[in-house]
Amino acid sequence: MRFNTLFILILIFTAGTRTSAQTWVVPDEQKAVVAPFKFTPDMQKQGEQIYLKNCQACHGLMGKDNWARLTPPPGDLSREKAQIQRDGEIFYRITTGKTPMPEFRNILSEEDRWWVVAYLRTFNPKYVQPNPVAKAAFTGRIVTLAMQYNDQMKKIVVTASEQLKDGQKGPAAGVEVVLFVKRYFGKMQVGDIRTTNAAGLALFEFPADLPGNKDGNVALTAMVNDPKGIMKTTPADAAFGIGVPTEKPGLTETRAWWSHRGQAPVWILLTYTLSVVIVWGFILYIVYSILQIRKLSKG
Amino acid sequence: MEDNHTPHSPNESDNQKGSSRRDFLKNIGLAGVGVATGAAALYSGHIFEAKKEVSGDQKVLLTQDGKLVRVDSLEIKALDKDDEEIRETMCRGGLPGRRWVMVTDLSKCRNARKCINACQGAHQLRPEQYHMNTLQMQDTPGTAPYNMPKNCQHCDNPPCVAVCPVDATYKRPDGIVLIENDRCIGCRFCMAACPYSARIFNWIEPKDAALHQDQEYNAELNVPQKLGTVSKCLFSADRLREGKLPYCVEACPNGVYYFGDENEDAVTNGTTKETVRLSKLLRDNGGYQLMPELGTKPRVYYLPPKNRLFPFEEATDATPEKV
Amino acid sequence: MTMDDNKLTFDKITSDLTHHIRINKGFLIWMGFLTLSLLICLYAYSIQLKTGLGVAGIRDYITWGMYLANFVFFVAASLIGMLISAVLGLIGMKWLTPITRIAETIAVAFAAVAGLVIVSDMGRPERLAYVFIYGRPQSPILWDVTVITTYFVLSLLLLFLPMIADMAIIHRKVETLPSWLRPVYKVLSLNFTDQPAQNKIISRAIRILLILLIPAALSIHTVTSWLFAVTSRAGWDSTVFGPYFVSGAFVAGSAAVIIAMFFFRKNYKLQDYLTDMHFDKMGKVLATVSLVYLYFNINEFLVPGYKLKRADAIHLQELFAGKDALLFWAVQVGGLILPILFMLFRRFRKPLPILIISIAVLIAAWFKRYLIVIPTQEHPFLPIQHVPGNFIHYSPTLIETLISVAPFILVLIIITLISKFFPVIPLHETAQEKGIGHIKFD
Repeated sequence: MRFNTLFILILIFTAGTRTSAQTWVVPDEQKAVVAPFKFTPDMQKQGEQIYLKNCQACHGLMGKDNWARLTPPPGDLSREKAQIQRDGEIFYRITTGKTPMPEFRNILSEEDRWWVVAYLRTFNPKYVQPNPVAKAAFTGRIVTLAMQYNDQMKKIVVTASEQLKDGQKGPAAGVEVVLFVKRYFGKMQVGDIRTTNAAGLALFEFPADLPGNKDGNVALTAMVNDPKGIMKTTPADAAFGIGVPTEKPGLTETRAWWSHRGQAPVWILLTYTLSVVIVWGFILYIVYSILQIRKLSKG
Repeated sequence: MEDNHTPHSPNESDNQKGSSRRDFLKNIGLAGVGVATGAAALYSGHIFEAKKEVSGDQKVLLTQDGKLVRVDSLEIKALDKDDEEIRETMCRGGLPGRRWVMVTDLSKCRNARKCINACQGAHQLRPEQYHMNTLQMQDTPGTAPYNMPKNCQHCDNPPCVAVCPVDATYKRPDGIVLIENDRCIGCRFCMAACPYSARIFNWIEPKDAALHQDQEYNAELNVPQKLGTVSKCLFSADRLREGKLPYCVEACPNGVYYFGDENEDAVTNGTTKETVRLSKLLRDNGGYQLMPELGTKPRVYYLPPKNRLFPFEEATDATPEKV
Repeated sequence: MTMDDNKLTFDKITSDLTHHIRINKGFLIWMGFLTLSLLICLYAYSIQLKTGLGVAGIRDYITWGMYLANFVFFVAASLIGMLISAVLGLIGMKWLTPITRIAETIAVAFAAVAGLVIVSDMGRPERLAYVFIYGRPQSPILWDVTVITTYFVLSLLLLFLPMIADMAIIHRKVETLPSWLRPVYKVLSLNFTDQPAQNKIISRAIRILLILLIPAALSIHTVTSWLFAVTSRAGWDSTVFGPYFVSGAFVAGSAAVIIAMFFFRKNYKLQDYLTDMHFDKMGKVLATVSLVYLYFNINEFLVPGYKLKRADAIHLQELFAGKDALLFWAVQVGGLILPILFMLFRRFRKPLPILIISIAVLIAAWFKRYLIVIPTQEHPFLPIQHVPGNFIHYSPTLIETLISVAPFILVLIIITLISKFFPVIPLHETAQEKGIGHIKFD
């Protein structure tokens, strides 16, 4: 019985592996990427901490084969199947993820991700790190954003300008722009990604129902969408009074059973106090009259 | 590009006059923690006092930003009444203008229990003490089992707070239900009243009690835990004050938790750090609350366990030892 | 009746009702035994004080255990003072006169100890004063503390007022009194000399007390039931919990009174005053309140049992056929249904049979409280998982049991002391009722 279950499980897992192996392909140019620095024991130690926090839940402890039984199986990364990959391949997989593996692009910095690679490599005695290649000198576009609110159009106008080859500034066309509104724990995307037109303009409609502060102000950030990191960009920050003015009262302002005692419902306060005063008034009266008994004795 | 962390509320960084009052309150609040912990006294002592007396007797204190510091006992000043008031205002007052809310996506939970570990570590809890526990649920025999992380629901009509005889547990304006274990008499009425079994009790001496005994009490972390008092999830009130996500939310490797401010209509995923609209998230995914029929009005929402990323497994982790 | 007869009868009554007021060997042995037992229990409590509530079997899910069951039981038993004195007394049932003091003694003893029982359940007993300093008028615990204190004071006064005249008599007439005790009675008798004005004050005060006692007594047990009924848990979430508890309290209290009557009658030789008629009548009272309690039991179980909402169904399943079934049926049949059936017959209302029935009823009453408090917590709305086994199933520890026994010893001590140093039967009242008239104080 037990053997059967195991057999079925193995079947399921191998099936899973096959499908996943077919689909998660790393582009060749990404495979060739190497770390921009030489791995040090310090980095490996940092990488271990990051691994334990972010990866161990699924991949298990290194060399213990105690990865989570998922489909596709995460596998133990100290094993040959994982270690056979090139550094760039591992780095790419960490960066992009693939369901159910999360994408770590926004969770771990580039440095963090390389540290994880450094840590993983400590389990491969045959591993020799390829020579680090420092990031090449920048040759891409240099784009600066600016943002305004147009009252007539009721739209946010993002202007992208770029430094041209001749040192002049001109409108940056064809740049993908994302608009974010700042919230307490981070920035939230508003609307879809827009591409700037020939004049370097991208127009955003601001949702009519998005809360602002009590005056309706919202802090916005416009950024260039550049997932491959091929541009140098300067985002634009601005605040406009276009949100829904929001000033909700604190949640404790009502008198209720659960309020603190100063906020008890009036009728409870009254009933309780009155009952205590009346009953104890009688009790005190009785005690007083008992003391009168002594005075009334004759002889 | 990847700067998803904003240390302070972005809304308050608006150069608006209206927000200055809020900033002021917040500063007062922050000062309050400092004074309450004695760390601020130390600070001003360092800066303004030229001559310094040292007793040699060192005390360990917790500062407002959660760091442990060593302070000479001569430099610790007892709280006077005003300080107490500030502390009261700041802790019981919560973060002005906020209404914290949590969204738990059941389709992503695979009982990794990272949230639990992070929580137990932060709050000095023993293995069998849960502010956050992942339950293996099956609603009816015919329906599929699923994992359900369960913490305090921070109800807007909290039955636990209603029954407390001494105001030891209370609701804050920002929605958090907190406990002051300096006040708690240990009657456990709140535990009986809570339909979510969210509350725990320190039946025996708390974990590493000797180690933490000199630590100043931090109500927003409920640390150090005290024998004979109730404890529970606090939505990591100490972290929220710093603009950080709760311990459990941050620790989840699978993107289960979203946390945010209902007033901003935004929640941030603890794993991906992606911020999304709360109302849209709930609408698109069929968000619901636990036992809403009880009228407790929870501040925790659940997204149903459909299209699950992970198959359900019976939990195999060891049961904590008997205490 | 001649003057001489009156005098003789009065002397006889006095001697009959006060001859036990002396410190004898039996009393010392009994008190020594009680004190020693209490000390052992207090030692157990000192361990709990030092190391925390963890010495008891209660844990995070079954967080209220034997201590709370005990508390409910003590509050319940104390309620009888109100039933006997106030309800039946105000109606004017004369046969009750010899029983009123027993009922009041029980009320005072159990109410006083109930307050202590609840302290044994506190995680931080040293913070008891916080309830008064920071008390929230929204919390049933504050109401409970308030009404129990009030009820205790009212019962104490009601015990004391009819005793004033008795103490004046004892102070003057009882020869066996140890010399150091005599002045105490003198002080407590408040120089009572049977003046009409004095009697008027006393009877008016008693009348006020009897009226106040009814709402106070109803409150203590109703509020105690609300400690459970204000939660939404299956088995506690009930609208009849107030009257259910009150009627159950009358059952427990009546049984306690009958047991006390039996032993006082035997030990203090009160056969002429606590007659078979009194036992017969108390048997009828017990049968009546038991029937009322049965009625509430039917309400309490049939209504949720008809609907079988999920949580209720689990709860009832456990009670009727599950883990708690044996105890449940023993309590319901042995402590309620069978006693009612037996008490329908006169011969079972004789002193000895009714004593045995009362003991069964009283034991069942304690376990009934246990069944009300604990099983509900063993199946909360959400499953209990990832915790040690002793968090899932409650079993009381030895220390916990000892701490739970302490209140019983304390109650016995209080009842023993009151009954030993004061007439068990109201002396002055009985004399007046027998038509002997006013006592002559020289």
